[in-house]
Amino acid sequence: MYPDTKGYYGGYGGRFVPETLIPALREIELAYGKILADPGFSEELDYYLKNYVGRESPLYFARRLSREAGSARIYLKREDLNHTGSHKINNTLGQALLAQRMGKERLIAETGAGQHGVATATAAAVLGMKCTVYMGALDMQRQRLNVFRMQMLGAEVKAVHKGSQTLKDATNEAFRDFIQSFEYSHMLIGSVVGPHPYPMIVRNFQSVIGRELKEQFKQEEGRLPSCILACVGGGSNAMGIFYPFLEEPVELIGVEAGGRSDRAGEHCATLSRGGDGILHGALSRLLQDENGQIRDTHSIAAGLDYPGVGPEHACLRASGRVKYVSVNDDEAVNAFLKLSQYEGIIPALESAHAVAYALKTAPGLPPGTSLVINISGRGDKDTEEVLRYLEARREVQ
Amino acid sequence: MSGIRKLMQRYQQERKSALIAFIMALMPNEELCLDCIKALEQGGCDLLELGIPFTDPLADGEVIERFHHRGIKQGLNLKRGLEFAGRVSQVCRLPLILFSYYNPLYRTGLDRFMAEARAAGIEGLIVPDLSLDELPVLKGSQLDVIPMLAPSSSEDRIQLAAEQQAAFIYCVSVRGVTGMRKLPEQEIKEYLQRVKTFTSTPLALGFGISSRQQIEVFQNHADAVVVGSYLARIIEEYESQPRLLPGQMEKAIKELTRSREGYYGSV
Repeated sequence: MYPDTKGYYGGYGGRFVPETLIPALREIELAYGKILADPGFSEELDYYLKNYVGRESPLYFARRLSREAGSARIYLKREDLNHTGSHKINNTLGQALLAQRMGKERLIAETGAGQHGVATATAAAVLGMKCTVYMGALDMQRQRLNVFRMQMLGAEVKAVHKGSQTLKDATNEAFRDFIQSFEYSHMLIGSVVGPHPYPMIVRNFQSVIGRELKEQFKQEEGRLPSCILACVGGGSNAMGIFYPFLEEPVELIGVEAGGRSDRAGEHCATLSRGGDGILHGALSRLLQDENGQIRDTHSIAAGLDYPGVGPEHACLRASGRVKYVSVNDDEAVNAFLKLSQYEGIIPALESAHAVAYALKTAPGLPPGTSLVINISGRGDKDTEEVLRYLEARREVQ
Repeated sequence: MSGIRKLMQRYQQERKSALIAFIMALMPNEELCLDCIKALEQGGCDLLELGIPFTDPLADGEVIERFHHRGIKQGLNLKRGLEFAGRVSQVCRLPLILFSYYNPLYRTGLDRFMAEARAAGIEGLIVPDLSLDELPVLKGSQLDVIPMLAPSSSEDRIQLAAEQQAAFIYCVSVRGVTGMRKLPEQEIKEYLQRVKTFTSTPLALGFGISSRQQIEVFQNHADAVVVGSYLARIIEEYESQPRLLPGQMEKAIKELTRSREGYYGSV
């Protein structure tokens, strides 16, 4: 089972950070080991997940969408119905409770679309902790609503004007804060990325999605689904739903953001088109130039707009266990509209990528095939962005 | 024995601090950077740490970070940095240490990078995002790989750094990123003392050093001090008057190294 004791998943992972941070990472690793052996911790977390988040999240059979798409049966795992509107809360509550047990009074988070920032600010509020969220200035413009939400929740949102002014730079800034403040702060990384033990901890907190799905699907159809799809930016919702199925005969598909085009800088299909490299503490797949500088990326979904990906995904790609594909902005927006109009569910643009690929493959599948799409978040935050996109598209045509 | 090793041992024996200057390669431009380096040598600097710009320099504070981002905008990279290092070693005698984040080295290929670095006259290597756990990837490199420690480092980490038998250990002064600041003197002295109980490897103190007074405080405790952000600020201040800049760099280094002459006696 991965990771090994040094935090590697096959050839990927590790702990590529300044020596200054090593004591902080060891402290987290140690504390995490303790809570795994402490039934009181999982009881407390389960209490919050049930009564505060509203878990379990429903598994919904999308009747009209299935009929429209072909003969496959399409199910939706409704993480969008969680409190705060995405899967991110599963991890932030887990890590915030862990941070409290470590005696930390403050949470630091990086955020792209703002979903992780909101989920961290929420966990901080309910547990009575301080919270600072770093967000790229560009992302703050396109995700204004989430900025307001974080502020309402009492978090301090710090705009990052450096570099590409998106998630990558917000993450750098969060690390800098953490290097200076780890004695009283916990850096609450929002995806299965970063130095060991973060990718493991985030995966484990998110795997509640896959565990629930297994039970729910058994009750629904008395077997395992044929295929599970999830979008992949850093890859936490995908890792969470895939992990309990890695040893099962279920096809797993991760869908990356193809952006505007295949040209460098216009997409963030890290696993499909990147190479091996080191960013934010781990050896994984990366979008970089021939000199090892990290490339700018683009996706209409701010939450996928990141040049790296979790090391376990890099490992699952190398072994061939998970298939990684990409869909572009246009396909994602079409899927966003289709799910909204056929099922009355407005998905996050991130999740719409997984929907788009499911709609693409469904027509060719044999009858009786069952697909599960992880609807990792709801799309209220994206309505402005989609309207702008549709207007621009009309003008071109 | 490498030039870096010899130099550090000499300072260790004399109980004085060598001065290591950090400067970003090719900034603000190639010729001016070369003139600044000559001025640093002229001023009495002992070792040159040459930085390679990286898109995501997460161990660096605001001032050095600006140089990284500016460098990236100018299209700088490891390849051009190594070419420049070759030029530097032809015009100055300071032993050269390359400072680069890990990804550019990894991407270039470690064997190829090592060969090119040696050919460019580089003797030492600092990789700020390689902790002691991942440092073994640079084994057999024929470069003096410099391990780092921090005030937060536990005994087993200090021992791990000692086992590297490096030319020196880079002791980060504070829990933080690079940049000028007021330093907690007593705490730093105790920390350097703690490291010394485990190793006789020479120690360099870096992050936050910007004045002669600071150097005087630490010169009996550290075998070298590293000055970076302070020089970067001088470059920013004078780059619009390029003719004045080298003179200002020389003046700054002379002032910093005056501590060695014992004006204030030893503490």
